[in-house]
Amino acid sequence: MSTTLKRVHGYLAEFDSVKDLYHAAEHVRDAGYQRWDVHSPFPIHGMDEAMGNPRSKLPMFVFCGGITGTTIAFTLETITQTNFWSHIGLGFLQKIVETYPTVVQGKPTDIWTIPAFFPVMFELTILFSAFTTLFGLLALIGLPRWNHPLFVSKNFSKFSDDGFFVCIEARDPKFSQEGTKSLLEKVGGKNIELVEDEI
Amino acid sequence: MSHHVTFNDLPQGGEKFEPAKGGKLIGTLGLLGALGIVASAIFFFTSTDTFAYSWLFAVFFCFTFVVGGCFWILLHSASNSSWGVAVRRIWENLANMVIPLAILASPLLLTAVNKPLYEWMTHHRNAEQIAKADNISVKEALHHMVVHGGEVAVNGGEKVHLPPNPHLHVLVTKFGYMNLSTWFSWYTRFALYFLVLWFIARTLRGKSLQQEQDGDIKHTIWSRQFSCIVLLPFALTVTFAAFDWLVGLDYNWFSTMWGVYIFAGCAWASMAVSILVVTWLRSLGYMQKVVTDEHYHLMGKLLFAFTVFWAYISFSQYFLIWYANITEETRFYLIRNTEGWQAVSIFILLGHFIVPFLFLLSQKRKKNPVVISLGCLWILFMHLVDIYWNVIPERGPSLGQGVLVPGAWVQDIAALCAVFGTMGFLYLRGLAKYSLYPWRDPRLLESVNVIN
Repeated sequence: MSTTLKRVHGYLAEFDSVKDLYHAAEHVRDAGYQRWDVHSPFPIHGMDEAMGNPRSKLPMFVFCGGITGTTIAFTLETITQTNFWSHIGLGFLQKIVETYPTVVQGKPTDIWTIPAFFPVMFELTILFSAFTTLFGLLALIGLPRWNHPLFVSKNFSKFSDDGFFVCIEARDPKFSQEGTKSLLEKVGGKNIELVEDEI
Repeated sequence: MSHHVTFNDLPQGGEKFEPAKGGKLIGTLGLLGALGIVASAIFFFTSTDTFAYSWLFAVFFCFTFVVGGCFWILLHSASNSSWGVAVRRIWENLANMVIPLAILASPLLLTAVNKPLYEWMTHHRNAEQIAKADNISVKEALHHMVVHGGEVAVNGGEKVHLPPNPHLHVLVTKFGYMNLSTWFSWYTRFALYFLVLWFIARTLRGKSLQQEQDGDIKHTIWSRQFSCIVLLPFALTVTFAAFDWLVGLDYNWFSTMWGVYIFAGCAWASMAVSILVVTWLRSLGYMQKVVTDEHYHLMGKLLFAFTVFWAYISFSQYFLIWYANITEETRFYLIRNTEGWQAVSIFILLGHFIVPFLFLLSQKRKKNPVVISLGCLWILFMHLVDIYWNVIPERGPSLGQGVLVPGAWVQDIAALCAVFGTMGFLYLRGLAKYSLYPWRDPRLLESVNVIN
């Protein structure tokens, strides 16, 4: 007899088709659930609206990342190769690099030498945007991780082949053992199971 | 999920545009065109030299739309896309404006018009006289002018002795391309550009219309293969037309980025025009079911892509010339980055890149037909400024009349009204000839229901 302690992850329900899944998602959304997800072998157009997902925050992160890249490149280049910072009253910044001035190729030292800096500004913008895209995405979707509680369910392995699932998690404030189950039954869920994860 | 459109929702035979419904805009453009042509005729006879530049500017401005329209059908077919089937006819009609454009461009063939524009032609015509008198080839005559000068008859027929001119050496070396007398002269190429564009535009619309008869997919496949083959001749056409008509304004100047630079502007501006035309047609009650927010979003994304592409190319051109600092090359930017033109240059940087870039970043703005159409009007305006900035700064220095020829802007507006008004009038009226979208294209529904 096993006495292992288990934690309830949530309810998993299977659906027969994309159409059913889509309508189930609409119902779960309208029931006011927040922490739940839909699993299908392929992307489904319009699922974002059906689930009531807000726009991703990722573009905002990427924009900020890009701007940071531009700013860093601009600062680095102008500090080391121009007198721009002294002109706007921040000469102390220039003092740092005056020990190793890098005025090369006989370019003018004022701000109008800026075309020479654009390629680096452009590259760093791209680099930082790419980094924020990748790492921002990983952070938002919670990767990397070792395992996922849903893998406990034998039935769930169909999600990468022909299974369509809705999983409502137990940490949702509206979650209840009875209410959630009956909602999933009502919207046509099949093979409803309570997924429990070993602690 | 909105309702999935099927063939039952779309009218049999497609939608036919009635020009009377859009009479306000068509009438305005027609009126502008007519007034412009009258004014242009007057300016042509009173101030041919300065007006030649105005006409080149206006013709080239409209040329970019025709090229762009041609590019979008080519790209759409060659890449086997289906999303744009619903708006493809707009591009097809745009590309087929090449015949009226060729007629409007034909004054450039007149010696009186191309003489003030292209200084190299004057030298070549002088060389032709010397070649005839001395019984040598034109190229040898040019060389003769470099070393010895020569005797030529100017304007009234009086003989003038030209001193030796070492600057002409560059014309001797460029003779293989820049000439008026060989089989591959400037004139031949002038005709060739229009022929190539006409051939592409006509063939692709022809196939599209043939499909309307039988609804066979083979026309789509044929168009795809055809497009892949003609993409290269098309690219060469745009590039060399841009060289012949704009770079030739200063025969010393050269830029390997030029063709791409002009092409980027073509694709950008013509996409803006097609968005505007679609919005206009929708406001008149057409294409309600075939064009959705998704199409606006897709077209907006391409617009965004070409905003960045144009900036990338135009900066690269500037950057290479600025850094290399070679006399023949820097002249182009010297006249555009000094005096009054500097303000225009900075305005182009802001208005042609930064403003559209920030504007087009947001998905919401791209999906809103009204908002994106307002953006397209701005883009059209900036494209106009860009072409103006490319052509007109040459006028003052070339004609020896200072930086800006006083009062010549009136002529520019007259030429613009004449060419753009006429082209716009004919284009919008021409929409009535066929269905507004290829209604029997097998992939029409795929396009109508597109989600991206």
